[in-house]
Amino acid sequence: MLLALDTSTTSASVALFDGRRLLAEQAWQAQRRQSADLFPTIERLLALSGTALSAVDQVAVATGPGSFSGLRAGIAAAQGLARGGGAALVGVPTLDVLAYAHAACGMATCPLLPAGRTEWYAAFYGLRHGTWGRQGEIGIRTLEALCEETTTDTLFTGEFDVAVETTLRELLGSKAAFAPPAARLRRAGYLAQLGWDQIAAGGATAPADVEPLYVRPPAIRTR
Amino acid sequence: MTTILSIETSCDETGVAVIDDGRRIRANLVASQAAHVTTGGIVPEVAAREHLRVLDPLVSRSLAASGLSLREVDAVAATVGPGLMGCLLVGANYARGLAFAAGLRFVGVNHLEGHVYANWLYESDPAPAEPELPAVVLVVSGAHSDLALMEDHRRFRRLGRTIDDAAGEAFDKVARLLGLGFPGGPEIERVARTGDPTAYPLPRAVVPGRYDFSFSGLKTAVLRLVRALERAGEIPVADVAASFQRAITESLAEKTARAAAEHRVRTVMLGGGVAANGPLRAEIERRIAQPLRVPTPRLCTDNGAMIGAAAFRALSDVPSELLEDVRPDLPLA
Ligand SMILES: [Zn+2]
Repeated sequence: MLLALDTSTTSASVALFDGRRLLAEQAWQAQRRQSADLFPTIERLLALSGTALSAVDQVAVATGPGSFSGLRAGIAAAQGLARGGGAALVGVPTLDVLAYAHAACGMATCPLLPAGRTEWYAAFYGLRHGTWGRQGEIGIRTLEALCEETTTDTLFTGEFDVAVETTLRELLGSKAAFAPPAARLRRAGYLAQLGWDQIAAGGATAPADVEPLYVRPPAIRTR
Repeated sequence: MTTILSIETSCDETGVAVIDDGRRIRANLVASQAAHVTTGGIVPEVAAREHLRVLDPLVSRSLAASGLSLREVDAVAATVGPGLMGCLLVGANYARGLAFAAGLRFVGVNHLEGHVYANWLYESDPAPAEPELPAVVLVVSGAHSDLALMEDHRRFRRLGRTIDDAAGEAFDKVARLLGLGFPGGPEIERVARTGDPTAYPLPRAVVPGRYDFSFSGLKTAVLRLVRALERAGEIPVADVAASFQRAITESLAEKTARAAAEHRVRTVMLGGGVAANGPLRAEIERRIAQPLRVPTPRLCTDNGAMIGAAAFRALSDVPSELLEDVRPDLPLA
């Protein structure tokens, strides 16, 4: 049984997956309480699905990019859970989870998460030699820079508002398509599937080796 | 016997300990963050990143040093406040995950209670006598300056606190002014040994609350003094350090002693990094009639053992609501 948890942004999610079926999943807008709600939510999902905690032998966690504190809260919890239960642990980039919702359609996909006032965490996903996956690095870009890199019809998903959608339409015209709000939700069910596959492929790591993808260095400001 | 694995990550030290019955230290490892020495202060985001990097390996090493496996531990504790939000989240979430998956109780601990309960810890048998209550406690460090009445276990009444800088912050700032290292407390104490504490008259804090502290006036006075000395030529660093140390320890000692007399307590206890300052202890001891308890220097600064000591009392205190969620502004009382 795999437990997946994602507190990368204020949009948090937890899921239980046995490799064939998603047994339970919850996603919620946590504001700043994502870490306080995390453990009660895990308990509720275990109860809902009638799963004993001892049955959980795999843990997958979203590693970012996202809110620095949110990433650390999720990864620290996952490390503790894995260490305490002797479970295998794996980290999955948060943008991979967002993009995964659209993997089956095969269309070029670009998930966006806010990285400050005018910048965005972004990466491009699509088909290459018949296999769908991330093309290139996860980075920080302005919308303008992002659009210069957008060469084909692309589906945008993630956390952005109508103003950003309007800007992208202006810059890209008919090349830009948008996932509807419900399909933009970051679901731990997808994280669970990705984590399961990664562990099956021998990708499990020691707890301390799961590190946040900060992308940005810390601002050096002393207290 | 109750054995607790305890984690501290509220500021810039990552601490993990294994403690028996809230007193005997089986293991107590601290990873101090060297990065802040070059910046001369704590960068919260840097500190939080470092906690996550070192915490899990430190837990493994502490368990190994204690000679116990996680199965032989009865509860997992972590600091939930006060402290830096990003830092608290790392230790608290790791500990909750660890406890949850291992089927153990999770105990959220007030960091300030931890500093007080450091006075119950010991390393090797026989166990020293426990501090007698009620007590007046002074918790002084780079982040806190709290004076409280401890009526009984976990029953604190705040008497006073700093209205501006923490005592340790004043040490840090003056040390930086004098070109000394970080943290400032040990550096000031070291150079002050050869200085004359009466060389320069510096102000004692005058504040409205009877037991409140204020250190910003003193800090400004030292700044003015250093600027004036600079213009006149070389700064007599040892004399300035000694005069500053005298001023700050006298303010702390005077109020602590007054509180101890007024509340007729049986013990006076110190905690926090500044409690390791020798002249402060001497000054308080000179002014009080009660026994003074001070943890050993490595138990004065932030560590996991003190969190385990406080967690044990929280577990024994029935019926008690155990803390769970992090609260960066959690008060002692
Ligand atoms: Zn402290």
